[in-house]
Amino acid sequence: MSVDSVEVAATAARKTNSPRASEEPLPIAPDARWTVTSLMRAHRREFAIGSAFLVLSTTFAALVPQLVRGAVNAIVTARADDGMRIALTMMIVAVLAAMTRVTSRVWIFNGGRNIEYRLRGEILARLHTLGPAFFRGMSAGEVMSRATNDLGQVRLLVGFGALNVVNAVIAYSVNLPLMFARSWKLTLASLAPFPLFLVLTRFFAKPLFARSRATQDAIGALSESVQQTLAGMRVVRAYQLEGPEEKAFTKRSNDSLEANLSLARLRGSLWPILGTSAAVAALIVLWYGGSLVQRGEATVGDILAFQGHIALVAWPTVALGYIVSILARGKASLERINEVLVARPDVVDVAPSAGGSVLSAEEIRGGIRVDRLRYAVDGRALLDGVTFSVPAGSSLAIVGKTGSGKSLLAQLVTRMLPTPDGAVFLDGHDICSVPLATLRANVCLAQQEAFLFSSTIARNIAFATGDPDQADNVRRAKEAATEVQLAGEVATMGDGFDTIVGERGVQLSGGQKQRVSLARALLAAPKVLVLDDPLSAVDARTESLILDAIDRAASGRTLLLVTHRIAAAARCDRVIVLEDGRVVEEGTPEELLRGKGLYARLAEHQRLEAELEAME
Amino acid sequence: MATPYRDETKGDKPAGEKPEAKTGAEVEKAFHEEGGLGKVYDAALLKKLWPFVRPYRVAFFVSLAMMPLASELLVAQPRLMRAAIDDGIVRGVPGALTRAALALAALLVLEFAVRFVQMYSMQWVGQKSMAALREHTFSFLLKQRLAFFDRQPVGRLVTRVTNDVDALGELFASGAVSALGDVITLVRIVVAMLVLSPKLSLFAFVAVPPLALLVDRFRRRAREAFREIRTKTARLNTYLGEQVAGVSVVQAYGQQERCQREFDEINRAYREANHQSIRYDALLFAVVEMFATVCTATLLFVGARAAGANTEAATIGTLVAFVQYISRFFEPLRELSGKYTILQSSMAGAERIFQLLGNPEPDGELDASKSGKADPSAPRIRFDRVTFSYGKGKDVLRAVDLVIHRGETVALVGATGAGKSTVCSLVQRLYDVNDGAVLVDGVDVRGTRSDELRAKFGVVPQDAYLFPGDVLTNIAVGTDTPDRARAERCAKDVGLDSVLSRRGRGLETKVDERGANFSAGERQLIALARALYRAPEILLLDEATSSVDSETESIVQQAIERALEGRTAIVVAHRLSTIRNADRILVFHKGQIAESGTHDELLEKDGIYARLHKLQFAVAAG
Repeated sequence: MSVDSVEVAATAARKTNSPRASEEPLPIAPDARWTVTSLMRAHRREFAIGSAFLVLSTTFAALVPQLVRGAVNAIVTARADDGMRIALTMMIVAVLAAMTRVTSRVWIFNGGRNIEYRLRGEILARLHTLGPAFFRGMSAGEVMSRATNDLGQVRLLVGFGALNVVNAVIAYSVNLPLMFARSWKLTLASLAPFPLFLVLTRFFAKPLFARSRATQDAIGALSESVQQTLAGMRVVRAYQLEGPEEKAFTKRSNDSLEANLSLARLRGSLWPILGTSAAVAALIVLWYGGSLVQRGEATVGDILAFQGHIALVAWPTVALGYIVSILARGKASLERINEVLVARPDVVDVAPSAGGSVLSAEEIRGGIRVDRLRYAVDGRALLDGVTFSVPAGSSLAIVGKTGSGKSLLAQLVTRMLPTPDGAVFLDGHDICSVPLATLRANVCLAQQEAFLFSSTIARNIAFATGDPDQADNVRRAKEAATEVQLAGEVATMGDGFDTIVGERGVQLSGGQKQRVSLARALLAAPKVLVLDDPLSAVDARTESLILDAIDRAASGRTLLLVTHRIAAAARCDRVIVLEDGRVVEEGTPEELLRGKGLYARLAEHQRLEAELEAME
Repeated sequence: MATPYRDETKGDKPAGEKPEAKTGAEVEKAFHEEGGLGKVYDAALLKKLWPFVRPYRVAFFVSLAMMPLASELLVAQPRLMRAAIDDGIVRGVPGALTRAALALAALLVLEFAVRFVQMYSMQWVGQKSMAALREHTFSFLLKQRLAFFDRQPVGRLVTRVTNDVDALGELFASGAVSALGDVITLVRIVVAMLVLSPKLSLFAFVAVPPLALLVDRFRRRAREAFREIRTKTARLNTYLGEQVAGVSVVQAYGQQERCQREFDEINRAYREANHQSIRYDALLFAVVEMFATVCTATLLFVGARAAGANTEAATIGTLVAFVQYISRFFEPLRELSGKYTILQSSMAGAERIFQLLGNPEPDGELDASKSGKADPSAPRIRFDRVTFSYGKGKDVLRAVDLVIHRGETVALVGATGAGKSTVCSLVQRLYDVNDGAVLVDGVDVRGTRSDELRAKFGVVPQDAYLFPGDVLTNIAVGTDTPDRARAERCAKDVGLDSVLSRRGRGLETKVDERGANFSAGERQLIALARALYRAPEILLLDEATSSVDSETESIVQQAIERALEGRTAIVVAHRLSTIRNADRILVFHKGQIAESGTHDELLEKDGIYARLHKLQFAVAAG
């Protein structure tokens, strides 16, 4: 029932409002939501220091054109000592400007990166608390897009955006007075093309972002279509669709090409146009300033000084054109990140103030009691009136057909889903009142869908140990692998237990994955072990060996085994049979075998299968 | 299936080198962060790349030719500046200022135009040739045999066609090729300065070596940081992606805190690398600018001293021109570090693509020695002692002999893994046999063109695969102009019309990716209609009705019966009820045909078929 059950469960979690979620305050402080202001306030030190140095560096930079003016005028009037003195001053100013400039950029940009770092960590922390209800509403790809693209936009806003807004303000307020002081005519003339700058960048910014987005979309569509074709290769072959598929691909590929070229055209023409506008300002200074010199209204030094000042305000002006877009996009992105940060977990931990449970780790013995458990989606009960109890240290098999609710039951017993209050008890305590950390450390569910991380096999098995690299844990991981009959196969892999598994590493078969997952669960050695169909992809011979291992592991702990295999169920102390979410049979394996129920029929079916298998 | 392979991106570490005892975390880190970047220059790779660029060589060379031209236009500007200041302003030659200013304006516009043409044509070449490479890679994939796809994860192949080609395209897009132009510009500026004034050049160049050293140092550090950022970005995203995909495992074992810690380590390293990058970028930026100012000051100092001694070292205009040359000299140096790393990752992408293209396993290669003319008197399908296994696994079929005559309907039954579906794959030659031969119409399938061979079959697989589009295009798949009336008839025959009319849009009903908006049973109906639309000589029904509900099944059953009339058909079925009417039933057991006969004959035998039959009712009853 794997995938369907998760989906059903997820819908359930969304629709049935868990009483906890609505009545109790979230354990997360309400300020989990960030605004641009609160982010910058949290990092005010970086931004304050950075801005202070920015003021200094812009001021020093603005002094340089003035010094050039002084030196040139001294040279023209043959005042050698003055000229040399000014030139030396200029060197000192240049060094100071460089030093302060480095400091300001480092502080402000680092501030942006620090914010990115903080948000990224917070995103993962929040994701760790969320369940299937959340991930059904927001796909993994969407989550990743928020943690990468949107985060990048926010960083751009608080780093680049902050620096350039401050920079523009300072550059104008330092350079303009110096320019006006020399010649108001030349100042106005040289600034004349500046409004054009703003208009042009504003004009370009929007399509630039839009086209850059279009290229991303085009490559996304392309990659999706390749994925589709390769996945449907059998049909492609059977119906000779190679030609049509190639044609469709070429079309998509051309779309991507066009999107890229259109972006290239825009980018390619943006800089020349901006460059030309900046050059126009410099030419005005040269030409109009030159004529002012000839009329005696300015000096040669003035012309050079103005060219310097113009250059100093040109870039901040261009940047301002972008800021508007960066600001809008950054804010929207932050909102999207906030959606993750304030998402409500469907399984809510006990508030520490509520005192939690009196249960301490040493006291847990592992007795499980389920009392009239009901779980409904849209009013339709997926589980209803499920009642059973498993004394500490004993074992129970949960048997049923696909869709009978057995995986759902396993998830509710372990509180992987929002378990209703007062339905599942651990040693007599409602599991909803047991702190999650305590619960997880003592009640473990090994899921049917074995998820492996793209890490080494040893680390995957030792996942639950807290420190998978510790020598002792590595040793235990290898032992667990031997228990589940995996060690031999691991030895044949290139790097043994250091072999990396997963998409980019070695691909394991379904059975191998399942055994890694089982070894992981055995190694966790909890008081209560819940195994959800741990042997569905394992062949019959290996199965009995692994069942021996499970038997050994079960001694001294409580075991709930979800299975459709009678061979596995027969080894448990008791069995319950689920049908349509209700317990229809209960008893020892022997009792049920004698009956005429589903259990007995399943046993007959599997006996026939075995008989068939044995025939030559 | 345990075919462990090493990822080819793992770098060029000698294979025999056993790493020192590393912790798992270190092994994991090394795996994810190592070898993302390739060699900067690899002649063999460039040679393989050239055929894709060749069709666009004119634009490529035009772009290259524009590089020195752009340098020339750049170098000419400071000289005009000098003329404007010396002649126009200081000496007041009438009209000189205006002339110089106009000329300068013209040069500027021209330079930007040339640069645009240069950049755009290079990008155009890049995009065009990368699209060609992408299409070539895709069509390469389409030609590989199915066994190739069994071994390669689809995700990895998609990466080759998209990300790796993109990485290679960066070579052109980021202007890494244009770095060549930067070098030309640097040389031209040095020459121009020497021509303008050898003496001042000396003053300027004195400061160059120490500064060049400094810049180079920062550049190196910036490059290291940039590299680190790239590998860490990939690691960060992989880790986060897995935490999302495996969040329930993390929660089940209460490992949130440790995972958060591990993530923080990567996140922190990423931030640290970025801090480094910020620092060295800022230093690079500031130092280059500082140098330009210090150089200007030096020249002004020299100029002032000369003015004091009444020996003019240089005119003001010359000084200004020099200052401009100096600032332009250092501009490209700032960007070279980024271009270098991009070059490396481009080459790594190229390596992976050409590695893929260099190891073809073509599908359906024609073996001329086995070809012959179709013999109408030969059995439709014949298996002659066929032995087959998937990869290196155990044999799925063991020396199977099998004859299916024209117009005969044969049902294949057996337990999962007994080899029934494999028979369907082999007659279409989706896989090649290990031993023996498969003959269709008396000709070995290896001696028939695979498109002609496969055109004979109409296939309905167990997991009916639908393509995005609408129902009509899915039924009339592979045809340019679908025959609507015919598609409608086929849809009606399989009882699809009632399903479609419920949805209100008939054959125009949209089909989502993978047909996700249809149930498994509905998908099978569409696939059945698709097979009928082809009016094939041979029908292959591989568990064709396994997901159809029993009400629909009777409709489909009638449709199938009609379709089977006058046709050869192989029907693979789990449900024995669907095969009662077959002319012959073949019972597969452990890779061999264990029993054959009609339903009643086989039941009487009380062998495997009889048990399969019982098995069917063991659970269902009740």
